[in-house]
This record gives sequence, structure tokens and C-alpha cells, in this order.
Amino acid sequence: MSVQRIDVRERVMARNDLLAATVRDRLAAAGVAAVNLISSPGAGKTTLLEQTLDHVGRAMRLHIVTGDVQTQNDADRLARHTDRLVHAVVTQGGCHLDAAQVSAAIDQIDLHDTDLLVLENVGNLVCPASWDLGEGARVTLFSVTEGEDKPVKYPKAFALADLVLVTKIDLLPHLRFDLSKALSAIRAVNETAPILCVSAESGAGMDDWLGWLHAQVSLARRAAPAVA
Amino acid sequence: MHELSIALEVCAIAERTLGDRVPQLTRVGLEVGDGAGIVVENLTFCLDTLLTEPPFRGAGVEVSAVAGDVLRVSYLEVDDERSAH
Repeated sequence: MSVQRIDVRERVMARNDLLAATVRDRLAAAGVAAVNLISSPGAGKTTLLEQTLDHVGRAMRLHIVTGDVQTQNDADRLARHTDRLVHAVVTQGGCHLDAAQVSAAIDQIDLHDTDLLVLENVGNLVCPASWDLGEGARVTLFSVTEGEDKPVKYPKAFALADLVLVTKIDLLPHLRFDLSKALSAIRAVNETAPILCVSAESGAGMDDWLGWLHAQVSLARRAAPAVA
Repeated sequence: MHELSIALEVCAIAERTLGDRVPQLTRVGLEVGDGAGIVVENLTFCLDTLLTEPPFRGAGVEVSAVAGDVLRVSYLEVDDERSAH
């Protein structure tokens, strides 16, 4: 019999997930919190991070890895708000960050001089949801200039979120956007994640967002093994 | 949208599993869950193309639709006689 069937039963994501677990272990050992920011293009990830950097100043040692299909524009924008390395991953067509890219990025970061690692994913509400990057928490954003039904249209990105941010709320008076419908849409796919309404432009909700980030940092630090 | 990445990883699994026998690969069996976020037609399109490029020499793809977020290579079929041609 020349034809042979070989049982494999290997998960296609196994290699990514293994690398993600390694990233998670390295971050945990160094007591570094890590968040994965996911949204469609233009929802305000970079603007939120610019304001975040301005607010935390030197009180939080924050490293950012940006993912974009082309250009390092986001990293250049963010670099103007921090004296720390902003690592740009140009995916050359790839529609998401993966754990191998994050692993390579953190090789260049002194984790023991870092409180928080922010992974600004490629703007896309579909693919990034399927890739574990080794983050401690996943944050999904959507802006009030998008439809209220975004969460039910792209359920996986919202269902797996540990925090949902509704952004650009300073624009609400100018839009026909029903915030209560948007909140219901989030709850339809994710019953438990906290929801924060923010505006990086006006500063509304920024204290809650910064408070949440500080809580992530405290959690990671408390969970880290004591340094002898 | 990310089916090409998935297809490339399926090819990598086949290469890792088969080693020198990769050219003899004739069929790839996949299980794709309805919650896996995969458009099966896109995935098979990518695989049909990739599996004609060396070291592959053309292989069929069989997708079993299953429930949940399963995404797995279930089997690889090789024809040892193919190497003779």
C-alpha cells in the first residue's frame, strides 16, 4: 500500500500559542503588565496612547510596540511623547501582530526597566482577535463615529476583550450615535468586561482608563516572583 | 482575511511532520470550527496555490466542518510511489 495517512491532530495555532506562552512567562517573571489594543483603523488607538504617555509621564515606565501594514508613522507619532523606545512592527501586508513579532520586539526591551508593555495591534477588528500575543489583558476599542452595532458585527474581538473602550465621545453631540445601543451591543457579546467611555481629545474618561492601566501594573508587579 | 497566514502555518506543519517526504504529500485533512473565524473558501484557495509550490508537488485539501473554534491539521496523506515519477 503506497498511500499512507498520517494522523497529525496538530492545532494550526499551536506554534503561535507556544510562543505567546513564552512571552507571557517572560513578562510575568519581570513583573511587566501587557495589554493588546485591538480596533478597526482610525478608532483612536494612537491618539489614546499619545495622551496616555503625556498623562503618565515618568510615573509609569511604558513601552509601546506598534503594528502597521506599512509605515512606522504611529511609532514616530508616539516617539514624540516618550524618551523610551517605540518599536514599530511593519507587517508588510500581514493583517495582525503575531507572537513571534512580539517575542522579537521584547528581545530589544529591558523588561526589568518596564512597568507596562502596550501592543498596538494592526487596525483590524477581525484577524487580531485570533492571535494570542502573550498579553495579560486585551482591550478592544471602537469609536462613536463607527456604527453602534460594531460589537455584534465583529463579535470575537469584543467577546475576548478584558476591557472595552468607546472612544471619541467628545463627538457625540455632532453624531446620530445611540450610546445606549452601543453599550447593549457590547453586552450582547461580552457580559463581564468593564466598559469605559473616553475622549483623548477632551480628556473625558481618561482618569478611569489610566486607573485601569495602573491596576494592571499593580497586578503584574504583585504576581512577579520576588527578586532576591 | 488572515487565511494566508493560516495556510502558511499549515504548510509549515506539513513540512515539519513529513521532512524528506514532503514531495509525496497528496492530501491535507483539516478540521475548521464554525467559530474559528476562517473563511474556508479563502483558506483552500491559499492552500491550493501554496501546495503546488516546491517543496510541495500538488496536494488536495479536505476540510471537515466542526463546531467551536477548532482549527487543526487532522491528517496528512502521502503517496510513496509518487517520488518515483
